[in-house]
Formats: sequence, C-alpha cells, structure tokens
Amino acid sequence: MDSAMMHRSISIQLQRLLRRNRLVQIGLLGAFWAAGDVLARTTGLPLPGGIIGMALALVLFLAGGLKVASMKRGANWMLAEMLLFFVPAVLALLDHRELFGLLGLKIFALIVVSTTAVMCVTALTVDLCYRWTERHDDRGAVA
Amino acid sequence: MTIAALWREPLVQAAVWSLATILLYLLAKRLHRRWPRWWLMPLAVAPALLMIAALALNVSYRDYIRGTHWLVALLGPATVAFAVPIYEQRALIRRRWPLLLAGMVAGSLTAVATSWALAYLLGIDGELRLSLLPRSISTPFAMEVSGEIGGIPDLTAVFVVLTGIIGAAVGDIVLARLPLRSTLAKGALFGVGAHGAGTARAHQIGREEGAIAGLVMVLVGLMNVALAPLIIQFMR
Repeated sequence: MDSAMMHRSISIQLQRLLRRNRLVQIGLLGAFWAAGDVLARTTGLPLPGGIIGMALALVLFLAGGLKVASMKRGANWMLAEMLLFFVPAVLALLDHRELFGLLGLKIFALIVVSTTAVMCVTALTVDLCYRWTERHDDRGAVA
Repeated sequence: MTIAALWREPLVQAAVWSLATILLYLLAKRLHRRWPRWWLMPLAVAPALLMIAALALNVSYRDYIRGTHWLVALLGPATVAFAVPIYEQRALIRRRWPLLLAGMVAGSLTAVATSWALAYLLGIDGELRLSLLPRSISTPFAMEVSGEIGGIPDLTAVFVVLTGIIGAAVGDIVLARLPLRSTLAKGALFGVGAHGAGTARAHQIGREEGAIAGLVMVLVGLMNVALAPLIIQFMR
C-alpha cells in the first residue's frame, strides 16, 4: 500500500469513528466550546464560549467543512440530558434560606405570572404574524 | 483512615456529590417517565433530594458546588450542540425569521416589564429585583447579565431554573388554551418563556418545535446580553 492510499484509508476510518461514536462527538462539541472560549478571551467578545462555539459549528456546517452527521449523535445526547447540568445550580438555594418563606412565595407567584404573560405574548405575536403573512401570500398567489 | 477523615478529603467529596447528583437525576427521570406530572420533573425532584441530603449532612453550597462544578460547565458544550437542530431547520428559519424576531422582541419586553412591575407591586427591591430581571435568558447568559446589571448571579441561576420548571408546566396549559396554528408559535413560546427546561419539553412535543425553541432561546439570550447595558441605563 503506498502512502497516499494509506493516508486515505486512515482518514476514512477516522470519519467512520467520528460518525459512530457518541463519546468522540461529545469530545468534538467540547473542542468547539474550548475554541469559542479562547476566542472570547482573546478578542474580548462579551459572549459565552458555548455561543461562539455554536456559531463556529454552524458556519462549518453551512460551508460544507463539517458533516452534521459527525456531531449529531453527541449533540442529541447532550440536548436530551441537558437538564442534568442545571441541577447543581439549584443548590445555590442552600445559601439563601431567606427564600424559604413569604419572600419565596412572592417570587414563585411573580415567576408564574410573568412566565405565563411572556408565553402568551410571544406565541400570539408569532401566530398573528404567521396568519397575516399567510393571508398576504394567498392574495399574492391569487393576483 | 477513619470514614470521617476520608469524608474530609475534597476529592472524595467531589466524587460522592457528583455521583449522587447523577444518580438522583437518573432516578428522578425514571420517576417522571412513570408518573409524568409537572411537579415530578427531574429538575425539581433531583435538586430537592440533594438539598435534603446536604442539609442532613450539614454540607454548604460551596462544598457541594466545588465538587460538582464540572457538571454545570458541561452547559458550554451543550450550547454548541444547538448548532445541529438549528442547521437542520435552516430552511424554515430562513423563511420565517421576521416572525421569530417579532416574537422574541415582544416576549423579552414582556419578561422585563412584568418582572419589574410585579417585583414593585410585591415590594421586592434592590439586588433581589435586579437578580429577577434576566430570568428569561438561559443560565450561562443570565448569570452574565445579572452580574452586569447589579444582581446576584447565583440567585439568578436559581430563578432561571425555577422559571424553566414552572414554564414547562405553564407552557402545556397555555398551549392547550391558545388557538395557535403554527409550530413556530409553539416552539417560540417555550424558547422565550422557559429556555433550557422548556426547550427540552418542546423537543418532546416535536422535532420542529424543539429546534425552534432551541434557536429562539439562544437568540433571545444573545439579544438580551447585547441589550443589558441599555437596560441598566434605562433603569438608573
């Protein structure tokens, strides 16, 4: 086997590994996050590393430099288990015993009312705009 | 070495708390699959059980988070993962971005305005009120914004998670009551209203809803991080 062929077969095997192995894909996600973090620090961009990493991955997908299949399994797993990563943050309540009482109830009520309002306003805005553009499109089609 | 001395080792504590967090999360997930009630959500049950354990063992938040911080850090790579559903829904997004943008702006304004007004009515003020404002952004952003506008980032993280738990529950009710025609509106509702936990819920409702929720959550976060300095100016 000459060296060019060997090179090709190694790269094919690497691609296969990347496409099948969830753990390797999670590593790849971590690499994008780390790259984003370094970029944020060196450029002083006021954005978290994860967002910059996500933008980098999106640009690579769109430019065809990276196949979505080489990230899909890892990404789906991360998204499905994302709630786990929020769990430790809730324990911050241990340092705020003042919230276990009337104040906590007030905050609970505030969150319920505010979140309901946000959801109704967002959904109705999007849906009304949707209906408006649909009607607009229909008229265009008739005309 | 006695067990008490072993327990004092930071590495042992980190391993024990990490394992406890993961196991309780898995247990809570099974519970929720068996009995799908909103108050049995893993994000409510797992922290509650951990908190009881920490209180019983007299462990402080600092001791706990020192060993489990790496789990929170995984939110970074998890954010990168949103690139996949967003890429897969790119055609829909390209066609419908003005609608999503309108929903995001209206939703964000509602979030800030209602939080501020309700806090005022209920007599919640100072750092606590400021910590409540960035609630509708997903955690990593929210903590950043909170610190910037003079809130307490730790507390904001708690409020964000609470918003997610409550939002996932409220979202189902809102979804059943509003006469929504588009999947766009259904996804945006969860993405703007209940970020991480809501997006997870939206993913259970449908692929398209989940992708839109994820996209909208990320974009709302970006928008609010960019707008935070303006908001401070406005509030001073």
